[in-house]
Amino acid sequence: MKALATATTVLLAIGAVPASAAETKDMKIALSNNFAGNSWRQAMLKSWETVTKQAVADGVVAEAPAFTTSENQATEQAAQIQNMILQGYNAIVIDAASPTALNGAIRQACDAGIVVVTFDGIATEPCAYRIAVDFKKLGGMQVDYFKSRGIKGNLLEVRGLAGVFVDDEIHDGIEAGVKADPDLKIVGSVHGNWTQTVAQKEVAGILPTLPDVAAVATQGGDGFGTAQAFKDAGRKTPVIFLGNREDELSWWKQQKDATGYQTMSASIAPGSSTFAFWVAKKLLAGEKLPQDMVLPITVVTQDNLEDQLKHTEKGSVTNVEYKEADVSGLLAGLKK
Amino acid sequence: MLAALRGRIAAAPWIWSFLGTAATWLVTVSISGGRGGEEIISAALTFSAFTVLVSLGQMMVITTGPGNVDLSIPSVIALSSAVAMLVMDERAGMIVPGLAAAVAAGLAVGGANYGLIRLLRIPPIIATLSSSLVVMSVAIVLGRGLKIKPPQVFADAVTTKVAGVPLLAIVALAAAVAIAFVLERTLYGRTVSAIGQSRRIARLAGLDVERASLLTYMLSGGLAGLTGALIAGFSGGNSLDQGAEYLLLTIAVVVIGGTSVSGGRASVPGIWGAALFMFLIVTMLNASGVSPGLRMLITGLIIIGVIAVGGSERAPR
Repeated sequence: MKALATATTVLLAIGAVPASAAETKDMKIALSNNFAGNSWRQAMLKSWETVTKQAVADGVVAEAPAFTTSENQATEQAAQIQNMILQGYNAIVIDAASPTALNGAIRQACDAGIVVVTFDGIATEPCAYRIAVDFKKLGGMQVDYFKSRGIKGNLLEVRGLAGVFVDDEIHDGIEAGVKADPDLKIVGSVHGNWTQTVAQKEVAGILPTLPDVAAVATQGGDGFGTAQAFKDAGRKTPVIFLGNREDELSWWKQQKDATGYQTMSASIAPGSSTFAFWVAKKLLAGEKLPQDMVLPITVVTQDNLEDQLKHTEKGSVTNVEYKEADVSGLLAGLKK
Repeated sequence: MLAALRGRIAAAPWIWSFLGTAATWLVTVSISGGRGGEEIISAALTFSAFTVLVSLGQMMVITTGPGNVDLSIPSVIALSSAVAMLVMDERAGMIVPGLAAAVAAGLAVGGANYGLIRLLRIPPIIATLSSSLVVMSVAIVLGRGLKIKPPQVFADAVTTKVAGVPLLAIVALAAAVAIAFVLERTLYGRTVSAIGQSRRIARLAGLDVERASLLTYMLSGGLAGLTGALIAGFSGGNSLDQGAEYLLLTIAVVVIGGTSVSGGRASVPGIWGAALFMFLIVTMLNASGVSPGLRMLITGLIIIGVIAVGGSERAPR
């Protein structure tokens, strides 16, 4: 097995010697995805399909298929990555089920000379490239927004899936912001699992035990359910920070038209998969890129709500699909 | 006297889930300083209604004996909610056809589950798991990128209250009474219990074992189908992930409610008790503000505690 891996490495190394720009047209990039059962992941896969189909038609790469594991399991994804190594992909783009559990498989891929780019769900293995989101900032900006609105009083926090890195990061950002502001106090926290129906259930449960709530900090995919729970309980709708889901933005638009309701919305665009695709392509073309990159957060405000809603597909998430030039521009900005 | 009481409790293992529910509610209200006791009960009744509807089906499946379990429930909910919303298409006149289509989708999946188990001789746990993958794929294709709103009349109906009691809870209560009647008083119901106690003896006694198994899987699918449509109405539309929480929840509710995991003995009241209990534990821990890690730990310990106390009172089989 080891001999085989070494032989593959040598072969790939020979193949990789003349790598320079425009030499990627015979190369293959695979997407390894661990989960497809929500609107964000569906949009992510769709963006990948749209952008890579064009890239293949344009002769940028030979092929770029997407593979999703049937169960959301790190072990299954590790096996999937091992298959991709054997199938001879030049680069593997991964939305990882776990930050650490795939490290072994990723190491094997790197040893075989394969470029590994992780995004959204990133992996800690040093040889992999990471396109992360500053989730702490996503938490902090909510408190900043509440402050800018002059909101004082009680805050309800709707968190994501307990035990997941993203949930802890956003929570830390919110908590740090609230600590620095004596006017805001977190009076309750529930886990909405980024799912509208779960958020609705959890908020409905805790709401009777809470005093008046002035604002709700969320993590995306939970704002609409939270609003439903407040409505069903007959409570005044607080300022609910939203997460760019189409149902959330439609609801916001309705409230805005009816009562002049104001809020803000932010999340990462599912098109981050296309950002990762171009990063992988650039690496294959021999460009030097930093091991750690940060994705911009997509923000919807009171002023551009209508415009963003128009561009957000029904049932989906506000999206940005990246072109190669966009990625070059963003990466140039990062290096400064 | 004491022995008589013990006998009573042994005959009604579901009593523990109700005791747990009452205790949890008291703790929650004391944490919140006496605030919102009534609203908590109302929320608990509403959300437990969904849990009860799907868990009744799961209970029937588990009662048909060791190894029988329906893991396709979350996928059926995802599929049927999409089917219901597509058929209704925000038109009030299409509510009944929409509900019927959702139930039909569930019944079809249930029938297919039985087909896999019976014709291909696949163990139920694998059969329903694999069918759930197929069903989820269909739901993704059907529901991809679209969340359709329910007709306003339907949304209002599922959130309405009759004399202060959520309509959904009344529907779920009626379903529970109907299932209890079926279990106790019909040939099909008695056959389900008999199969769970001994499939061989039930067959030798001349009962139509296969027909009862088929009906049970269809019942579970049909109830999950109905629930999917109701959740979509309640939550402002269908989504792929709205069934996910009901996989482990239904099994937990069935077991905590006092239904025998090895089959042969169902406990309908326990389904209600355990569903309320599971909702209130979460509410209590949320209200107490303990850290998420600790919440999971406590939830696990409480569930083990209730099952241990309830289980120790049972007569050995």
